[in-house]
Amino acid sequence: MNRRKNSEAERLNFWEKLYIPEIAKGLGLTFSYMFRPKFTRQYPEERFEPTGSYRGRPVLVLEEDGERCVACGLCSRVCPALAIEVQAAETEKEKERYPEKFEINMLRCIFCGFCEEVCPEEAIVMSKDYDLVFETKKDAIYGKDKLLVPIAELQDRLEFLRQYK
Amino acid sequence: MNEISWILIEAGVKALIIIGMMLLVAAASVYVERKVSAFIQLRIGPNRVGPFGLLQPFADVFKLFLKEDIIPAAADRWFHRIAPVISLGVAFAVYAVIPFADYIVIDDKIIQFGIAPDVNIGILFILALTSVGVYGITLAGWSSNNKYSLLGGLRSSAQMISYELSMGLALVSVILITGSLSLTDIVRDQAGWRWNIFIQPLGFIIFLVSSFAETNRAPFDLPEAEPELVGGFNTEYSGMKFGMFFLAEYANMATASALIAMLYLGGWQLPFPPEWLGLQPHTLAMALAQFAFLVIKVAVLIFFFIWVRWSIPRFRYDQLMNLGWKVLLPLAIVNILITAVVLYILK
Amino acid sequence: MVHITIDGITLEATEGKTIIETAFENGIQIPHFCWHPELSISGNCRMCLVEVGFPKKLSDGNLERNSDGDLVINYFPKLQIACATFVSEGMHVRLNSPKVIEAQEAVMEFLLINHPLDCPICDEAGQCKLQEYAFLHSKGESRFIEMKNHKDKRVPWGPNVLFDAERCISCSRCIRFAKEIAKQDVLTFVQRGDHVTIELFEGTKFDNPYSMNVIDICPVGALTSPDFRFKSRVWDMSFNDSICPGCGRGCNIKIGVRNNEILRLEPRTNLFVNKYWMCDWGRLTQYTFVNKNRITEPMIKNNDQLKIVDWKEAIEFTVQRLRQYKPNEIMFIASPKATNEDNFILKKFANEIINTNNIDFLKHIDESFEDDLLRVKSKTPNERGCEIIFKDIQSLKAIELAENIQNGKIKVVYAMEEDFADYPMILESMKNLEFLVVHTYNNNEISLLANVIFPASTYAEAEGTYVNINGRVQHFTPALVTRENFRFMGMKMSRLDKFGADNDRWTYHEQRNCKQSWKILQMLARALSFDWNYRNSSEIFSLIAGEFSEFKSMTYELLDKFDGIIVGKADSPESVKYKYESHYMKPN
Repeated sequence: MNRRKNSEAERLNFWEKLYIPEIAKGLGLTFSYMFRPKFTRQYPEERFEPTGSYRGRPVLVLEEDGERCVACGLCSRVCPALAIEVQAAETEKEKERYPEKFEINMLRCIFCGFCEEVCPEEAIVMSKDYDLVFETKKDAIYGKDKLLVPIAELQDRLEFLRQYK
Repeated sequence: MNEISWILIEAGVKALIIIGMMLLVAAASVYVERKVSAFIQLRIGPNRVGPFGLLQPFADVFKLFLKEDIIPAAADRWFHRIAPVISLGVAFAVYAVIPFADYIVIDDKIIQFGIAPDVNIGILFILALTSVGVYGITLAGWSSNNKYSLLGGLRSSAQMISYELSMGLALVSVILITGSLSLTDIVRDQAGWRWNIFIQPLGFIIFLVSSFAETNRAPFDLPEAEPELVGGFNTEYSGMKFGMFFLAEYANMATASALIAMLYLGGWQLPFPPEWLGLQPHTLAMALAQFAFLVIKVAVLIFFFIWVRWSIPRFRYDQLMNLGWKVLLPLAIVNILITAVVLYILK
Repeated sequence: MVHITIDGITLEATEGKTIIETAFENGIQIPHFCWHPELSISGNCRMCLVEVGFPKKLSDGNLERNSDGDLVINYFPKLQIACATFVSEGMHVRLNSPKVIEAQEAVMEFLLINHPLDCPICDEAGQCKLQEYAFLHSKGESRFIEMKNHKDKRVPWGPNVLFDAERCISCSRCIRFAKEIAKQDVLTFVQRGDHVTIELFEGTKFDNPYSMNVIDICPVGALTSPDFRFKSRVWDMSFNDSICPGCGRGCNIKIGVRNNEILRLEPRTNLFVNKYWMCDWGRLTQYTFVNKNRITEPMIKNNDQLKIVDWKEAIEFTVQRLRQYKPNEIMFIASPKATNEDNFILKKFANEIINTNNIDFLKHIDESFEDDLLRVKSKTPNERGCEIIFKDIQSLKAIELAENIQNGKIKVVYAMEEDFADYPMILESMKNLEFLVVHTYNNNEISLLANVIFPASTYAEAEGTYVNINGRVQHFTPALVTRENFRFMGMKMSRLDKFGADNDRWTYHEQRNCKQSWKILQMLARALSFDWNYRNSSEIFSLIAGEFSEFKSMTYELLDKFDGIIVGKADSPESVKYKYESHYMKPN
């Protein structure tokens, strides 16, 4: 048995052994806390505005001439939760390749940001969007319609990535 | 109509009123519990349902009603169903002998505030009933056929039996002083600031601590110690059956508070001579004032129960047993001895 | 025999071989782009530069040694290309000296100057030699800041090959393949320096039957297949070894699978059968019938209405009907498309359970398909196997089935994995049958006529052996998941397939309820109260090995080890010392 006896200094003295004074002290402390100012934020009315470093739901960058994504599948590969599914197809555009299907299962996404980190095109980035609500499992699978976000709305994150990535 | 029927009808009406009141108290306690815990933790607490979140307990109960009632496949279905009923029923039944105020006289007719407040075995009745309460929890744990539930149930019975001893012995001193087992007599005996808390401070502390253990409240809520036992005895309960355990806990808390108020804090006695307000004994106004002061005392005690829960961490099981058997029990016996000797000398 | 020393290890080498060949035969990798064992040496990529030298000779004829007693080597001041330098006695080679590493890094830097950085788009990414060597033999950075050259992209060379000139590193493998293997000399370099590109001669097309092999040998993604383009990343697929069922050659292939769907076939090295190649026809057609138009559930015909039933009901229905006929009224049709195991069990079933000798198979011959590289006229993978298994059967001939049905000799036909597509007469006569049971892969003409349809596993879902036209017995394993082999297959699927649970979309792809033919027959046998209990194909193959001298002492392990074994030669199988893998970092 790896037991160790407490040293003299560590042992409780008589008053501490009585418990009652100590309990009263504790009760006094918690009572005093009841009148301190509160930290709670009244969420739907007062919203939290994240900075560029915040990792909200991953989104695809939409430029004027369409998505940046070339469907290379690295995000899908690196995703530890297997949340991303990509199907590539060919286009006539110069970039040759685009995601015919790009789906993220938001029930699986753990917001780790690996997809953003691995993306060679800076096409998938973490947004500031944090309040995700869905009523069915099917709704939780976000397709390109929900994932594509105009580049103008993502400037903070792109700036953050330029500085720190 | 014979007299028995009248008595039964009267008792029935009173019981309904008391149960309604108890449900309200339980609901209020839930709300207060959530608010107090929030304040202690620098939060705001429920504030969405109704003004200041006052309707939150009703929303909770509504949710519990809508939830699926699951009975595990391997459970003993009959006991699994009956256990929460026992728990809640016992918590309510104690109120049969609690006097809410002194009796009043209207047209030479005596009306009691309480179902049977001056029954002469009041305290024995209460002790007996609280022991039955153990069955609710033990059966819940056993019938769920889940090892965590069973451990929770076993702990609960061991704990309740241990603390019932010191609780009962603490009471003996009070009974010695009063010379009666009737709660009404005990309350009457404390008129004019002769509250038992001043005569029996040690007994009061023993009784208070034991009450915490009897009601399974923190810091003695070992039967539902989440870190070790998942949900404790109610792991396998859901829906309104869980709700009944939940209500029983708060009803028990109110019962314990009422008992402490009766035994040590003067019950419905006003803390000042009633003549100051110009009240005559045995009138309705007097009774209402007494009732109000009882409510205040109970409310303060309930707040104390909650306050303690959010201040003091849970005991370890062996510490709990040590405290019960090695500290409280000897103290209670010493307390009886001193009381008896002092009473003998004074006589 | 000569002796050469590579990095301090002395090896025996055959005279007339190059350094790179000798190194590969001994398991030593030398980086290279343009060299390929089946193609002529061009020596233009300069990636295989090594340091070559010979021991210093003293004037008395002895070799000079230093104070440690080691030989003193005189290395040539200039590096040599390992692919074009022939070994000679006493040659010393250094693969990792600073000079060699510097040269390799320089070559990589040069190649990467104009190579576009489009790996995310490129189909080759993940199996690209340039990528491999960029990791292994490159500094990882470029000093080139000018604009890269722009050349033509998506140039169609032929119906099955697309060329991206920007990605080309001018190794000339495709040019040499066209000239030497496919014998269609239509490709050539044009321009010079960094403008060099490959073009077709005026008015020609690169459309030979083996054109798609250039896609495999291309070390980069310059050549892509329009059939596959962008279907999947290489690392998302699992590649399973198999045998092409397209013709009697039995080319060794890899089946690329993702989401339980075959996305492409590609040749697998087997120096005895197909070397490094396969034909375009096989590559493009031999997976579509697996993916599409499948029969996935057992069906029985009631009142001219086919309905899907479960296996139990289908088996019971079949057994009940088969019992109503005399054994000699039943004809069993085996199939050269099925494995030896299936054919053997069908024969066993006919002989031992139904007690009939009426069992035969039909050949499928297409003279126009044959050429002198790989393609042969027998369009089925297991004709030789059938010939062996049914060699001593005295039976009504399958080829005369139409007459036998017309004159009422045969009332019931049990056709296993045979579609009769080349025999319209038989198909026509089958309308007169009283009862027809088929094992089939696809909806086809025979399945329309059948009274009972058992969904059979294709070559991509089954385990078994084929005997190719040269008598080589070859083993293959399933690449796709069916409902019966789901657990087993979990071990070899790609990442997405492997961990799929029911709530994963990537398992929504069909898991077909088909079974290997021998398992269907075993179920029938058990329903007829015969206690057959074969657990797997290898157990049946051991029965075959016991019964036929051609397969004597063969096992699946031996077949895998020796790249297939010629019938009757299991005691002294040929073996190869090494197999060259061009893209050796490719996932499998």
